[in-house]
Amino acid sequence: MNGHALQSRIFRLFQKELRETIRDRRTVMTLLIMPLLLYPLLSMALNRFLLTSNVGVSQVFYVGVGSEEEGNMLSNALDNVGSIPPKSILDASSGEFAQFDLRLTEEIDPVDALRENKIDVAVSVDLIPYGQSQVPEFTITAYRGDGASEAARRILVERLQWLRSATAQQVAQQASESYVPPAEVVVKDCGDVQSMPLLATIVPLVLVLMTITGAVYPAIDLTAGERERGTMEALMASPVPRFYVLFAKYVAVVIVALLTAMVNLFAMFTTLWASGLLRLLTGEDVFPWLAVLQILGLLVLFSGFFSAVLLSLTSFAKSFKEAQSYLIPVMLLALAPAMLSLMPGVKLSGPLAIAPLISIVILARDILAGTFDPVGALAAVLSTCAYAVAALAIASRLFGNDAVMRTSDQSIGSLLQRPKKSTLVPSAQSSALLLALLVPIYFVASNGLMRFLAAAQDQMTMSTQFWLNGLTLVLTFGLVPLIAAYLGRNEYRTTYRWKRPAVASVFGAVLIGLGAWALAHEAFVFAEAMGIGGLSESRVTQTLQTLEAWKQVPTWLLLLTFALAPAVIEELCFRGFLFSSLSTVLTPGRVIVVTAVLFGVFHVLTGNALLIERFVPTTLLGLILGWIAYRTGSVIPGMVMHFVHNALLNLVGRYHDSISFFGSELDDQAHLPAAWLAGTMGIALVGVAMVWFSTRDRSHV
Amino acid sequence: MLSVHSLVKTFSVDGSELRAVDDLSFDVPCKEVYGLLGPNGAGKTTTLRMILGLLDADAGYAEVDGIQTAEDPIAVKSRLGFVSASDGVYPWLSVREMLLYFADLYAVDPHVAAERAEHLSKMMGIEKLLERRAGSLSTGQRQRVTLVRGLIHDPPVMLLDEPTRGLDVVGVQTIFEYIEHLRDAGKSVVVCTHRLDEAERLCDRFGLLHHGRLQNEGSMDELREQTHREHLVDMFVDLMKTEAA
Repeated sequence: MNGHALQSRIFRLFQKELRETIRDRRTVMTLLIMPLLLYPLLSMALNRFLLTSNVGVSQVFYVGVGSEEEGNMLSNALDNVGSIPPKSILDASSGEFAQFDLRLTEEIDPVDALRENKIDVAVSVDLIPYGQSQVPEFTITAYRGDGASEAARRILVERLQWLRSATAQQVAQQASESYVPPAEVVVKDCGDVQSMPLLATIVPLVLVLMTITGAVYPAIDLTAGERERGTMEALMASPVPRFYVLFAKYVAVVIVALLTAMVNLFAMFTTLWASGLLRLLTGEDVFPWLAVLQILGLLVLFSGFFSAVLLSLTSFAKSFKEAQSYLIPVMLLALAPAMLSLMPGVKLSGPLAIAPLISIVILARDILAGTFDPVGALAAVLSTCAYAVAALAIASRLFGNDAVMRTSDQSIGSLLQRPKKSTLVPSAQSSALLLALLVPIYFVASNGLMRFLAAAQDQMTMSTQFWLNGLTLVLTFGLVPLIAAYLGRNEYRTTYRWKRPAVASVFGAVLIGLGAWALAHEAFVFAEAMGIGGLSESRVTQTLQTLEAWKQVPTWLLLLTFALAPAVIEELCFRGFLFSSLSTVLTPGRVIVVTAVLFGVFHVLTGNALLIERFVPTTLLGLILGWIAYRTGSVIPGMVMHFVHNALLNLVGRYHDSISFFGSELDDQAHLPAAWLAGTMGIALVGVAMVWFSTRDRSHV
Repeated sequence: MLSVHSLVKTFSVDGSELRAVDDLSFDVPCKEVYGLLGPNGAGKTTTLRMILGLLDADAGYAEVDGIQTAEDPIAVKSRLGFVSASDGVYPWLSVREMLLYFADLYAVDPHVAAERAEHLSKMMGIEKLLERRAGSLSTGQRQRVTLVRGLIHDPPVMLLDEPTRGLDVVGVQTIFEYIEHLRDAGKSVVVCTHRLDEAERLCDRFGLLHHGRLQNEGSMDELREQTHREHLVDMFVDLMKTEAA
């Protein structure tokens, strides 16, 4: 079947799934009815809560009084200039203060009116003797536990106290000219304007939860529902690769989740806008189209991720009931860390940046607040993508697995069991799982290493730091694929493409390694000219300092940890495991490109910084390494080239002051002189030719 | 045509091993209806599932037109039609949508599929139901839809698992006509059933399965000669007795 026919076939499979879901009334319920009802109700509750917890903002409280006389006495007091808070107090609450609207509670007692929630606070006035005259005594009653009511009483009490102290001050000043106030107060602000963090967190949290709600029903219906309806066996008996069916279902669930997300997003923002709460969120009354679109983008990502997670669970279930019982703990598990995002001061860095779900909530919060950190954002987006791919891979492994064995004793634990038969290479799903594990593990490991090194720099020799660096590499790109190959019972030789290459191809690889740095350099300069990366002056200085510091380390250790270890470990991972496993589903050209891009991405995400400038040269290097790996059918020549390349760069870095390359030191902004370029390219091309000719009759293997 | 060679399948039940299918071999040439008969638990359905590739065989293999299930499951599945009494429908799809969906699963060209859906629906008398929502069909109507669904890709080999279970007289008659049609169309047909009286009327040859083993095989006349019994029911009663003894 050609590509076009295949695509339209998968599209028709997807159409069926979407049709089936959308026609189901239960989907429509969660999709449309829920948000339309929920947000107006939620906004009423939020309105009360947020406004009362935000006293100082100009706001009207209703004060109930029993008679006109009492009302007059209260308004006289409040109209008195003395009751207005002093400037320092006004400044501290942005110049605004609460307004009181006096209401006569007609036939009933003000306190009863308060009980019936008709007013915020009740006031009664008695005239009591004070020396020779009479003064009004205000009795102010608030409803216990009602934030608004208690706030109204507090402000009212304060206003009357200001009046008392203003009058006292006046009398004191008149009585004695030597009156000096005990203190004067001035208020000032510093720092940036902070928007309301609570609402900024609640909004994405609610959206994420609603998206989950939208996805749950279709996910169960399209997977466990197949079994319950008795259509699973016929489906599995059909000659369509399981992944196609699952993928069609996945897209349908994502679409429904996304529709739910969109309806919720717009319903929520419209409600916020209409109820005036938007000002608390963004500081303006204008509908925040850009933020809404950015959050929609995040919700696309989140739908993609969570739908895959849901499918991987529901694919395992044999009935609706079983699926629900799997999902409830997962939803609770998802909810608990999401609550963490409500805590102020939680930042998108470290493990939180790669924590599923919560990273998206925090990122959305930061987008709403207008402050987000690109490193954390990229880590959050990449890790979420990786989790989605992994969950989908798990789902396709589980979906329809025991379509016919309703009484099977399989459990989730069977996922971790090693298969009985060994296979030559890992499946594409294994690659997906490997990547999903590698992204967070690598992020945490390199992040942790950077922090540790920064903290313990003084107590540690440079050599120890080098060893630690090498160890991190072995534990991540070395150990994780190895465990995956062990668990999948894959033959190590074929998985890692460990094969004796033609001798000439190894020599060719050495030559390419000797020449490739020039290409990488040119790619770097080109990328900088295109605006992708480039080094600031401070970074250049920093790099030079680092190179100086590295001189304490013996050359053999430098070569071992920065040339040999990466060459062996990274090649085994990228041109070994990933290459062989992706080759089961992709054409060689695509395998080369995909592994090269992954290679590039992993080099960008290093520790706590984004080294964007590394992307283009590293990906280019990945393409060359991929081509060598494809031509030779072996991982070894690539290792040789990788080693020569890294060794050369590190040696040049070490001896850059004793060998003058092209006039200036480490001048990364300049193109190479034509002669240098021609020379290195020539060497590399001879290498390419050697690889090519030595593998002519084996390239189809 | 379909051939089954020394199929073996063992399940572990409560820690002990149960041989559901034990060294089972048979052939079904074109234009033949083969009755795979046996009491509940004899291994009939397990056999069909191994042929379909839904279960992996522990030993032995099945092949369709010379292709083994384990070697090229996609090619084998596209040559097999499968209808089971427990088949369900997609309640929110119309009958036509459901038929075309299965045609897509079997990679049938959409135009061919549309024509075939019309033609088969007329043959099975469900042409008026094509636009109806499948969830609103009666049991008998559903069964006809399922039968049409099994033929939408015009497979050379048809597997029917307990096709008459839960059906009334009219429903059973429909199945009989359907199987007649399959035989006329030159297909190899395997019918699994424990309804021996029906099988006697339907099938050309029989395999009597008991505890996963093929006890007797042949046409009705051959079986009579082998067992000295007139009817399938008596032959099975004898089998059970041997076991009891």
